[in-house]
Amino acid sequence: MAMLLAPAGSPEALEAALDAGADLVYVGLKGWSRGGARGELDWQELEDAVGRAGARGVEVQLALNTIPKPRERAVLLDQIPRVVTLGIRTLIVNDVGILSALRGRYPQLHLTASIGCGAQNEADVAFFRDVGAAAVVLPGTVGPDEAAACVAVGGVAIEVMLHMVEEFVLLGKCSMPSYVHLRPTAMPGGLTDVTRQTGSMKRGGVGACYKICEQPWHLEDGHGRRETSMLPSRQLSRIGDVAAYVAAGVQVLKLQGRSLPPQLLRPLVARYRRALEDAGAGAGTPPTAESVLPPSWTVVGR
Amino acid sequence: MAPVTARFELTTSVSNLRQLRTSDLAAYDAVYLGNIYCRLYEGNLLERPAELREAIRVARDRGRQAYLTTYGAPRNDALQVVRGALEVAAAEGAAGVEVHSVGLLKLVHDEFPSLPIHVGNFANVYTDVGADVLKAFGATRIAPHYELTLDEVDEIARSCGLPLELLVHGKMPLGVSEFCILLEYEATWGVGCPDLCQQEVFLRKEGWGLKSVGKGVLSGRDVCMLEHLPRLLASGHRHFRIETLSESPAYRAAIGAVYREALTRAMAGNGRPEPQWWQAIRDHARLGLCNGFYFGQSGMDYVAAHDDHT
Repeated sequence: MAMLLAPAGSPEALEAALDAGADLVYVGLKGWSRGGARGELDWQELEDAVGRAGARGVEVQLALNTIPKPRERAVLLDQIPRVVTLGIRTLIVNDVGILSALRGRYPQLHLTASIGCGAQNEADVAFFRDVGAAAVVLPGTVGPDEAAACVAVGGVAIEVMLHMVEEFVLLGKCSMPSYVHLRPTAMPGGLTDVTRQTGSMKRGGVGACYKICEQPWHLEDGHGRRETSMLPSRQLSRIGDVAAYVAAGVQVLKLQGRSLPPQLLRPLVARYRRALEDAGAGAGTPPTAESVLPPSWTVVGR
Repeated sequence: MAPVTARFELTTSVSNLRQLRTSDLAAYDAVYLGNIYCRLYEGNLLERPAELREAIRVARDRGRQAYLTTYGAPRNDALQVVRGALEVAAAEGAAGVEVHSVGLLKLVHDEFPSLPIHVGNFANVYTDVGADVLKAFGATRIAPHYELTLDEVDEIARSCGLPLELLVHGKMPLGVSEFCILLEYEATWGVGCPDLCQQEVFLRKEGWGLKSVGKGVLSGRDVCMLEHLPRLLASGHRHFRIETLSESPAYRAAIGAVYREALTRAMAGNGRPEPQWWQAIRDHARLGLCNGFYFGQSGMDYVAAHDDHT
């Protein structure tokens, strides 16, 4: 049976995810995850999270989904033994170079190619398998049939982000914010000589992508025609397709939202828990069961 | 670092056979064939094997290398289409194929080993270790992600030993989408797909903007590295791209001519841009110029090497 992987951006959110029935929880480590400051745990919180989740039989996975510059990579890699000591076995990464470096140095780790790696097809999945990923995350825009083709690649687990903000530009393929504003900033956590590339969606900001895609635009052509337009984006929920993804062989159903407060996260996880159990019992889940998150929790609050 | 040669290569990009036939490629050494954004783009060479075959021959007859490009974010249904284009490219002796998806890198490496593989911007090469991984999968040339600074680019070049292809002019690709934002204006504007995305459409904010090609977003300003060519050459770079996928044949010809002459002179030790080059560049840059991210600034900013170019 597929497992439910929930986000947690705070100790309170972790508790909510556990209460609501998550099988797995992913968190970010302060300074090293793309979720930004609002969705990251410090070392003490991370240790506590692993302990509390472990007591309930739930694994904590760690998102290290920034792309440090080469001279900063060593700083990141040197922190992995401490992560392992805490009992964390699964790291979620955003870059093939980091994935390969971790694979070579820490072969015991279970590495997941995050949604930011941009995998969308079976060839991408095969690539990440060959590089050493144990799991690949596909966006929820990839339907059950396509997911089944990715599962058929074999040798790597398929995860699907069933609940996510579908932005106009694909995750892992967007440089719009940094075109407008790129601002290297100090890393949290007291690390020196290390900067975060705030504004870079791939390299990791402090939760700030400047919402370029959420602004109203004046669309102009060369003939003077002018329209006011918003780039399309939506809160994507595939809760009605949970059974189809499970039947396709998807092993992990993932939810986006490390910045969600506990009061929003708890019912979200509970709904997907129920959908997963319904799927196991052969029952369907109506696709309308999902509520839409407030706009302020999309994109920058992800 | 790849061996530094006395020659440089200047490349451009063309989506379809019509544009190829109407473009003056005299300034270029090579041309990327196909449109990376949309399967419905008019005459997209990736979707038309017979026209791709003809395009490769046209490029070759004009003494230009033909490279095939591929989709920026392919889904499963595009893989078989791309395989068809790759078969044509391999059979016709295309000089290489550009991939923006790591899956396509593996696919080409496994199924079309005769084709040299160029890794494109959307494949997200950010570091030396990333480049090393793709090199192990057969990459022969890499376009580092456009968010990198020149110092970072140089670091990758020194480490991986592959030639790097650098964008020196044109609107910088910033995003790939599965939506076309222009379709909703078909009725209002009286222009339908596939002609709609060939209009000059800009997403404007006060003081700046982006260019839309429907399913792709480009920089509104033209990246311009004209006055920095000596810096690029001194670092050993020899492969340069003028991004023209959304531009007219006139743009392709005029900007190409400027850079052909500028690079030739810079190779000979004279890197000072001529006033008429700036004029030609300004004539084709509707929203102005930028340097992208090469100097560590926001992508839309411009850093000058000299004070007197404007």
